[in-house]
Amino acid sequence: MLIGYYNPYSSATFLDFFTTLLKRVGSWITGHALEMASDEIQLAVLTLVAISCALVGTFLVLRKMTMLANALSHTILLGIVAAYIILMNFVAVENPEEAFNVPFLIIAALCTGLLTTFLTEFLSKVIKLQEDASIGLVFTTLFALGVILVTLFTRNVHIGTEIVMGNVDALKKSDIQIAVSVLLINMIFFTLFFKEFKISTFDSNLSKALGISPIFFNYLLMVLASLTTVGAFRAVGVLMVLALITGPVLTARLFTHRLGTLLALSSLVGFLASLFGVALSRHFLTVYHLPLSTGGVVVTVIVFFYLLAIVFSPYKGLIKRSFYYRKFQLMHKK
Amino acid sequence: MTAIYHYFTDPILRAPTIGSMLMCLTAALVGVLVFLRKRSLLGETLSHATYPGVTLAVVIVATMLSEEWLAPFILVGAFISSLLGLFAVDALKKYFNVRDDSALCFVLASFFGIGLTIASRVQFSHPQEYRQIQSYLYGQAATMTDFHILLYGVLSILVIAIGALFYKEFKITTFDANYAKSLGIGVRLFDSLLFLLIVISVVVGIKSVGVVLMSAMLIAPAAAARQFSNRMSRILLIAGIIGMVSGFLGNYLSNEFSIYLAESNRGIQGGIRGSLPTGPSIVVVSGTICFLSLLFAPERGLIPRYIRIAFFRLRRLEENLLKTVWRINLDGEVELSEILSSHSRSKTSLQLCLWKLKWDGLVSKRGKKVALTSKGRKKASHIVRLHRLWEVYLVNSLGLGVERVHRNAEEMEHIITPDLEKKLTELLEDPLEDPHKQPIPRNGGA
Repeated sequence: MLIGYYNPYSSATFLDFFTTLLKRVGSWITGHALEMASDEIQLAVLTLVAISCALVGTFLVLRKMTMLANALSHTILLGIVAAYIILMNFVAVENPEEAFNVPFLIIAALCTGLLTTFLTEFLSKVIKLQEDASIGLVFTTLFALGVILVTLFTRNVHIGTEIVMGNVDALKKSDIQIAVSVLLINMIFFTLFFKEFKISTFDSNLSKALGISPIFFNYLLMVLASLTTVGAFRAVGVLMVLALITGPVLTARLFTHRLGTLLALSSLVGFLASLFGVALSRHFLTVYHLPLSTGGVVVTVIVFFYLLAIVFSPYKGLIKRSFYYRKFQLMHKK
Repeated sequence: MTAIYHYFTDPILRAPTIGSMLMCLTAALVGVLVFLRKRSLLGETLSHATYPGVTLAVVIVATMLSEEWLAPFILVGAFISSLLGLFAVDALKKYFNVRDDSALCFVLASFFGIGLTIASRVQFSHPQEYRQIQSYLYGQAATMTDFHILLYGVLSILVIAIGALFYKEFKITTFDANYAKSLGIGVRLFDSLLFLLIVISVVVGIKSVGVVLMSAMLIAPAAAARQFSNRMSRILLIAGIIGMVSGFLGNYLSNEFSIYLAESNRGIQGGIRGSLPTGPSIVVVSGTICFLSLLFAPERGLIPRYIRIAFFRLRRLEENLLKTVWRINLDGEVELSEILSSHSRSKTSLQLCLWKLKWDGLVSKRGKKVALTSKGRKKASHIVRLHRLWEVYLVNSLGLGVERVHRNAEEMEHIITPDLEKKLTELLEDPLEDPHKQPIPRNGGA
């Protein structure tokens, strides 16, 4: 798709961005056919990805599995290389850009998930290496292997850096379809098995007694996590995905103790962070002529949200704490 | 081919080689301490947390200062932001009840994201510097100069000196924090000192291995060395050697392979370009060494362990076969089919086992009949003796029911050593009968 011949958002400030967006969405609803601007594509992909990440992330954080997600996000490089080689040999894709479609993602995600899970389990269960070391060993070595293979096999030398850093500007309309399908798959699984995920997360003994296998749902979650990460790497890169996975959940966790609310709230945080991130990076470009990385800005916004939450949280927030502290002191004086 | 000593003398090759080796040595030594404390993933977070410091340093130097400030600025920037990352993890855990893994993960990703945002500031205005920032992702050993060797040499010596000076304290706080407290050793002080060492080794490492892969150099040599020894001093020594070897081999392979690629000028799918990156090569080498030692280390390796298990199983089967022959007919010949039907194992494995027994001179075989030799009789009666002694022990000394002891004795008869047998005989006053009123064979013959 051609970008930039006309972009309604060029020279828009933070607020302009939202008014333009609202106007365009309004005219789209009333039936005007519009070509999507690059900012809108970025916005759509990032918000969809952020919601997927928040859903998966909630369960990963609650199950203390985020370091496995970290491992997954690294081994994805090897998964992508593997899927790429498979597709090159069986489907014969000419252009590497064309290879990034939905079946490709699924193959890559499965390769990644299986490789990581199998190897870490093998190291920690069979060889009896301590768990943190097995995770760390597997993903760093596989990632290094991936970097080497990528530089040797693909003509694109920069693909290694791009996978790590993401490139929002290279997103196309087809990426929206991918993001939608990943979100749909996540939503379907989490709605269908909401009860099962909930029980196996909080009480594995009860879930065993009820005939719900915690191991099965562990693996299912791993597969969903790798799918989400593979779906997100083009936009934000494999490392910043982790911020989208953990950040919104940790933020939401400061406001609620209920699982349903947590899921909704963390999705909202992810959504807002992407929205503000895209708008802010446009703002910086317009006002200060700084072309900042949109993915990086989104992550920075997430961090900012978390800092805000730390201050204002009704449970553990700094304001609340100092308030209690003063009350405590007053009580002592009496 | 470049001769190996060239890697230490050639003015272009020596800086990356020696620099990488020094860095790997430091990381490996610190890594052992981290590994033994089961905090291996902390290195992962701290190495990513250096990224905003690196980018900020590059941006500041690019926009305000001259080139020669770059190396020290990057070091200081990386150091400060890594420390900030450490504090962030600590604060999240302590004040906001965030669990260890989530805190590590969040800090890792968010610091990286912030670093990237800063880096993108110079993306178009200073492309040269931007490329330099990117090279810190996977490391770029090739751009090291003799100045780097000096800098890393000093830092490595500093780390090793601190480690050697407080070796005892580190050891005690690692293995038994409570004991350390009772000795008046400040556990918190040495924890902080260790964290400082991790940060320094990470800061040294990112130049050659890169922020993304740095944690491998902390984990892999330590995990590999742990396979070979139970003594901390030896583990440190082996880990240091493995680290230096991977540092060297990574450089060697990447250089040789790049030369090969450039010379052959043909490629897979017609388009190999560029070279084998050094940082990932170092990581792959150390990862391979680690996997190999996990599999093949003599004591703790997987394969030797399985071989030992297989040998034990074979011995157990042999002894059980001897016992079977002994039970059916002590002095005469036994039909082969009778032996085969009394064991639930496959026929081939039993045949093989019998062949082995014959090879050892424990049984003699004539056609389809098997008989014990005198050596075999001795051995078989000894096993039966151990079995029955153990039954007596279980009943008399442990008070188990007579009907419950047989199964356990079936296992123990293969495990009891001559030493244990002597002790048992003394303890039970050399009994003549087992709890089932069966005679216990005397030692040294039926």
